[in-house]
Amino acid sequence: MSDKAKGKMTVFKTDRHEDAAAMVFVSLVVAFVLVYMAYVVPTVTIKPNQDGKLIAIKVQPDQEIKKGDLIYSFEYKDKKFVNGELQEKLAIKDVLASTNGKVLSVGVKEGDALKKGKTNIIVMDHEKGTLP
Amino acid sequence: MKILLALDDSARAMDEAVRLASERGAGLTALFVLDTGWSVYIGSDFLLGSTARSKFLEYTRDAEFAQEHAALELVRQRAQAAGVACEVKTVTGGHIADEIIKEAAQGYDLLVMSRPFRRGLEVVRDAPAAILKAAPCDVLFVRDQPAPQA
Amino acid sequence: MEEKKGLAHILAIVPGLAVMVGTLYLLRTFVEPWMKDAVVFGQKGWLVQVLSLNYILLSIIAGIIYRNVFFGGKIPDWAEAGFRTTRLFIKSGVIMLGSLYTLQKLAKVGSIAILLISTFVFGTVFFVIWYGKRIGMERSMIGVMGASCGVCGVSAAVATSPGVNAKPSEVALAIATILGFGIMTMFVSPFIGKALSMSDYQFGAWVGTGILNSGQVLATCLAFNPTFAPGTAVAYGEIWNVVRVISIPFVVFIITTWACKAEAAESCATGEKMSLTKVFKDRFPIFVLGFFGMTALSSLGWLGAEGSNTLHLMRDVMSWIFGIGLVGQGAYIDFRELKRAGGKPLRVGLVAGTLKYVVALIVIMLFVSKDASF
Repeated sequence: MSDKAKGKMTVFKTDRHEDAAAMVFVSLVVAFVLVYMAYVVPTVTIKPNQDGKLIAIKVQPDQEIKKGDLIYSFEYKDKKFVNGELQEKLAIKDVLASTNGKVLSVGVKEGDALKKGKTNIIVMDHEKGTLP
Repeated sequence: MKILLALDDSARAMDEAVRLASERGAGLTALFVLDTGWSVYIGSDFLLGSTARSKFLEYTRDAEFAQEHAALELVRQRAQAAGVACEVKTVTGGHIADEIIKEAAQGYDLLVMSRPFRRGLEVVRDAPAAILKAAPCDVLFVRDQPAPQA
Repeated sequence: MEEKKGLAHILAIVPGLAVMVGTLYLLRTFVEPWMKDAVVFGQKGWLVQVLSLNYILLSIIAGIIYRNVFFGGKIPDWAEAGFRTTRLFIKSGVIMLGSLYTLQKLAKVGSIAILLISTFVFGTVFFVIWYGKRIGMERSMIGVMGASCGVCGVSAAVATSPGVNAKPSEVALAIATILGFGIMTMFVSPFIGKALSMSDYQFGAWVGTGILNSGQVLATCLAFNPTFAPGTAVAYGEIWNVVRVISIPFVVFIITTWACKAEAAESCATGEKMSLTKVFKDRFPIFVLGFFGMTALSSLGWLGAEGSNTLHLMRDVMSWIFGIGLVGQGAYIDFRELKRAGGKPLRVGLVAGTLKYVVALIVIMLFVSKDASF
């Protein structure tokens, strides 16, 4: 009777169980993502994380690259608050390789416009066990 | 004739049901519905830690039992004083209005309840309105104060 | 309704969970892209740019529609177990948010958050005590309203009520007030933020300080800017949120002690003496530890470098987890219940809530610079 009147509380017994379950769930998700990216994913496509214009591409197909090598540079509008004013100016950013690997193909040429998360800059094969 | 009295803490509704039962020689059943809605009512809140939620649900449950105890005691007294036999019943499960309607459909002729109906989460719900829509029998709503004399 | 065991227990979750996942999938693959292109009032993407209708708000709205329109005000039995997993998803999302910070950044912004929040918590609590006494509210309810307006809304109300022996029906009114106010601010804040051209940092700080119900802080930040990345509204708002959540046990302790002072001994629930350690043990939200765990992992660089595809995927997963949870959150909002909020809790809640919201806005605009600290 007592539990009936209380109504079932959660899928879990108490919030403590729920918290623990959330932590286990997150651990599994994180582990899955890391293992997938390190070992399973066949090729990695590098895309820009900002809109901009490509000014230099430093790799060619079939080239071996090392972690820290320059892959491409692009020009973007840097928006920054300076003393409460939004200022925009053009800035250049270099993107370096985050893992060792081999470039399979290059999808852009110098002067191309880059769309955030859309443009495929290069497709590469990365060394297993590293995080691209 | 069978009369169903939906209990809250209103003594006026109890008196009214008892009076009708004795006048018409009807059987009287007093129904108390335990509210189990709290778990869903606070269900969206995800920040509660450890045992805070279960403590609160236990607290509301204890309050429900205390109210049940008081209401049943009171209605027994009133019925006894008037010499009316009164059967008491406690149910639990869904929303209070649903449970009352379900019970009222078991062959009762008249449902007596107070309005506003003061039970559990009824303060944010509206059992009288729901019952008015779906009542399977006659319904008598009793005000918590006697109507002012003109 | 008998307690289901084992496999049946898990299977019962499936229908409701499927509804939440399915809804989010439809919203993200069809509805949101359509909205970005739809021409309303002669402007392309009006729905997204002016109404801030991104997938976050859409998931909440979908949940609200399920509950209030399709389900007729009640979560049906077949979906109930599934919808109850909403808290698991949001908690998991909050834990994963920890990956947006490094320990140094957390410490830097956290100290500002602690300063702002403690000022506002105590300011609100004192205001509620003063105003509650003025309109003759019971001491126990002043305690509940003080805690819920001060820190975390519904969670604080629930955590305080048993200790101060507040009447459940009054607590129900208080919760309706706070949820209603929270939902209103959730839809209004992004407008105000955009109208005042607040930066993500200011918006996160404002919402984190000013919104009554902490449960809605994250959703509001995501409505303002749905991107998960360091430096977005949600990244700042979450720091505020975590500070608030951690402070619940302390505020509950202080308020319960106040409400149980000798002159109001009858409003004291139990004879046993309150101790801070006991309150802490009962009320501390353990999932916050997971959040710090993720921050530690990201500080060590084990989750991939900033801008890497790994982190990108991780944040994508995070946004899905949040979205699923938010559909469920919406399904717990019943407008019929909120509409009946009333009485003294409504008066206190509205006055204290509005005051806090506006004062927080003024303080942030005056004293917090637009330039983000990270």
